[in-house]
Amino acid sequence: MKRALNFAVLKHFTQVEEASAEDVIEVLKDDYGDYKMLNKKAIYEILLTGEVNGFLQESRFELDANGQLRVYYKAHQEGRDTINKYLP
Amino acid sequence: MEQVSASAISAKQQMASRFFRKGVFLATLSGISYGLYTAFITLAMSVGIWEDWYGPNLAGLTMFTIVYVIGALGSSLNYTLSAVWGAGIAGARGKLRDFFKSVNSKPGRMMVLAALVGGPISSTAYIVGLQLAGSIVIPIAALCPAIGAILGRLFYKQKLNLRMLFGISICVFASFLIGLQSVAPDAPPQMLMGILIAFIAAVGWGFEGCVAGYGTSMIDYEVGILIRQSVSGIVGLFILVPVFAIMAGDMGLSVSLLGDALSSTNAMLIFFVSSFFTLYAFSLWYKGNAMCGTALGMACNGTFSFWGPLFCWIILGVFVGQEGWNLPFVAWVAAVLMSVGILFIAVNPLKLIEKRGAV
Repeated sequence: MKRALNFAVLKHFTQVEEASAEDVIEVLKDDYGDYKMLNKKAIYEILLTGEVNGFLQESRFELDANGQLRVYYKAHQEGRDTINKYLP
Repeated sequence: MEQVSASAISAKQQMASRFFRKGVFLATLSGISYGLYTAFITLAMSVGIWEDWYGPNLAGLTMFTIVYVIGALGSSLNYTLSAVWGAGIAGARGKLRDFFKSVNSKPGRMMVLAALVGGPISSTAYIVGLQLAGSIVIPIAALCPAIGAILGRLFYKQKLNLRMLFGISICVFASFLIGLQSVAPDAPPQMLMGILIAFIAAVGWGFEGCVAGYGTSMIDYEVGILIRQSVSGIVGLFILVPVFAIMAGDMGLSVSLLGDALSSTNAMLIFFVSSFFTLYAFSLWYKGNAMCGTALGMACNGTFSFWGPLFCWIILGVFVGQEGWNLPFVAWVAAVLMSVGILFIAVNPLKLIEKRGAV
């Protein structure tokens, strides 16, 4: 059974070095494409919340070719351990 | 290149600022929703069949039944209706499938635990306290951020420094001021008991804020609140109310009183409104805690110290014309003091001023 969307977003960061909301959407769109919440605004909110609660940290940010902000996040070891502990 | 970097920095700062402001706004909105929930549930429990139960008592119920069975019934009915609102909203937003996927996860089980403590136990205590002592118990329940800070230190090793302890002392002093009211010559005889019972609610909600706030940093808040309200409503209606009914000497009371409550249309319509605000009182509390940190989130939510008495006075006192909703002056002073204390627990006022200056 697929995970809940929020869980899948957080879990993704235990499998990659870093990712932006746009990257997460690209990876999850096959399984969660029909979720209304799989949009840039909602995913950034999950990532920023993860940052406030210590699971994720910002790694870098840039403006893409369209002038849109992209913020990349990563899970440090403690964050990965916490995510894996709560979302095996 | 330099220009692009400056634009990126500016866009990033705007994003962070928007997120922070949204968190503070939602946490404060949870306090406003809490005030409205308090006013409407108190109103619901004063009309229709509830008017008789708490008034002339033509049904001939015992005092125990009125305080505990009826109190738990009102709370549980409100949570059950709130779960119905939650299911409708989660369904409309395509989140119901995540409810079933989340409920048996570790964060989901944390929400169930928080629901049991914060729902059936604390909310019944709060309503029983309200019934016994009136809206004077509302600031007592506002102690929950202080208790949450202590439990956060014990459970999750969260920060608890001198500034926070100072804030907790202000809250304790303020609750002492309110407690003094109960020993005044004209105090209602059950006021002290009401305040003590309301304190159980404060401990339970401190626990809930601590545990559910952490859970909601992983679980979607609209899914989390559906777990919370469903558990609170079902356990309340099917366990708590029957247990109180057995203690009252007649288990059949739980069914007959629920039937009476459901057929009291006027009250049910108001419960429908109160349960809507209940949903947002709790879901935005969790969401606010998750977005701007538990300490600040709980401080913003703690503004219900003002909103509770305010909406009780406006809705019950001014609009409905019920008497007795004007709080003694010292209670208002205590509510202000508690809010100041809560603010000290949550944030360094100097940093808050600096942050405001920087935005």
